[in-house]
Amino acid sequence: MEQLQEILLTGDRTKIQEVRDILDSYDLLSERVSPIVQDHLQTFRQNYPEEFRSIVKGMMEDRLQKTEADLAGLNALIQTKDQLAEKVSPIVEDHIELLKQNYPKEFKVAVNKLIERKLKDSQEEILNVITPVLGKLIRKSITHQFQMLKERIDSQVKSTFSKQGLFGKIFGYKSKGTEEILSDADETIIEEVYVIQRDSGLLLGSAAMEKTMDQDVIAGMFTAIKAFVEDAFQREKQELEMIEYGNYKIYIQNFYSYYIAVAMSGSISATEKDEISTKLHDFAELELKHIPKDIDDSINTRISDRLKDYFFQTEQALKSA
Amino acid sequence: MISKKIILTGSFGVGKTSLFNKFIYNKFDDKYLTTIGVKVNKKSIEIEGEEVSLLLWDIAGEVSQDKIPNSYFLGSSGIIYIFDLTRPSTYKNISSDIEYLNGMANDAIVKVVGNKCDLLTPEKIEEVKAILTTPWDIITSAKTGENVEDLFLSLGKAFLE
Repeated sequence: MEQLQEILLTGDRTKIQEVRDILDSYDLLSERVSPIVQDHLQTFRQNYPEEFRSIVKGMMEDRLQKTEADLAGLNALIQTKDQLAEKVSPIVEDHIELLKQNYPKEFKVAVNKLIERKLKDSQEEILNVITPVLGKLIRKSITHQFQMLKERIDSQVKSTFSKQGLFGKIFGYKSKGTEEILSDADETIIEEVYVIQRDSGLLLGSAAMEKTMDQDVIAGMFTAIKAFVEDAFQREKQELEMIEYGNYKIYIQNFYSYYIAVAMSGSISATEKDEISTKLHDFAELELKHIPKDIDDSINTRISDRLKDYFFQTEQALKSA
Repeated sequence: MISKKIILTGSFGVGKTSLFNKFIYNKFDDKYLTTIGVKVNKKSIEIEGEEVSLLLWDIAGEVSQDKIPNSYFLGSSGIIYIFDLTRPSTYKNISSDIEYLNGMANDAIVKVVGNKCDLLTPEKIEEVKAILTTPWDIITSAKTGENVEDLFLSLGKAFLE
């Protein structure tokens, strides 16, 4: 363009004519070339699908061959365990590591929710299983502490009343503790045992040494008395544990969805009370894990049979022996 | 056989114990002895070949239902709310009482019973019906035994449905 400007500025006619000729020749060339280009374009348009197909086909065949080769290689890799392990292990380890690092963030909430839901759904069943175990542990610990305290007091009393000790030594008489003397004089006998649904007062099962009045009614009345006392003296988490009348006592052991009432005759010492409580916890742990809400005859029969075996058969067998 | 707990409740002197005695022992006594605390008894009934054991709790009457210990209602499958057709004071709070009972035992079937129907003429009974804010399910007479058996049978049927 600069050269063309120079020529025009110089005003050299010869050169200007040369430029004009060149430009004319370009037009001429364009006129001649355009139809040829148009023809080629037309030809290409007509043949394009066929040509395109052949190009794509070639490309696909190449790709297919490559894929087949890759698959064969992968197949061989999978078939050989060690080779596969060598390849996969680092990836798996990486993922495990990633999971470990991200677990609290990614899964903790979901898992916790799932556990919470499961616990909520089977709350009653879990509590029925846990309560006897917990109760036994607590009772054992308290009993042990009391036993130690009692022994310390006994030892203190014995040393204080040394004359009694001397008397015993001279005549070979071993003095008994107050509790032991009382227990010997008036033996505790389990007369009846009832397993009662806590809220409704419906009888889940019962066993007795001798036949008494309708046990469903007794269970209902126990529950009514219990409910009345607990409602009337609303102390936080306090429950009725003992009903006494004359020489009879009804010991109540509370569990989550049921309670066990034991009618006994004779005097009962703290140690005996603990023994009965442990026995009740053992029974609950063994036999009362799964109690449905709707009570029918089969449940009552099963529990009653087990109560009879557990509380009366053994004692009767011991007595007859 | 299935077992179900039923509560008999309502104001004092409406005839809860009389209905209880009529149903269980088929006895009626004109003498009025107030119930102290609660009295429990049971009766088995047969419904469509199935035996249902009903453990009935006859609760001491209270003017207002919220005076009854909450724990009495726990685990109950049925509540029978009884009022005296001859004493308006025993049904003037019927709506609020029923609402309270429904709240106390969600799963329980509540039956509203107008007792002592033997003491009123059919016209008088219609008058009472017209002024009740909550309709009765059945009217009974512990004295004549009218509808007493039907009341407990209808509850038993409802338990099996």
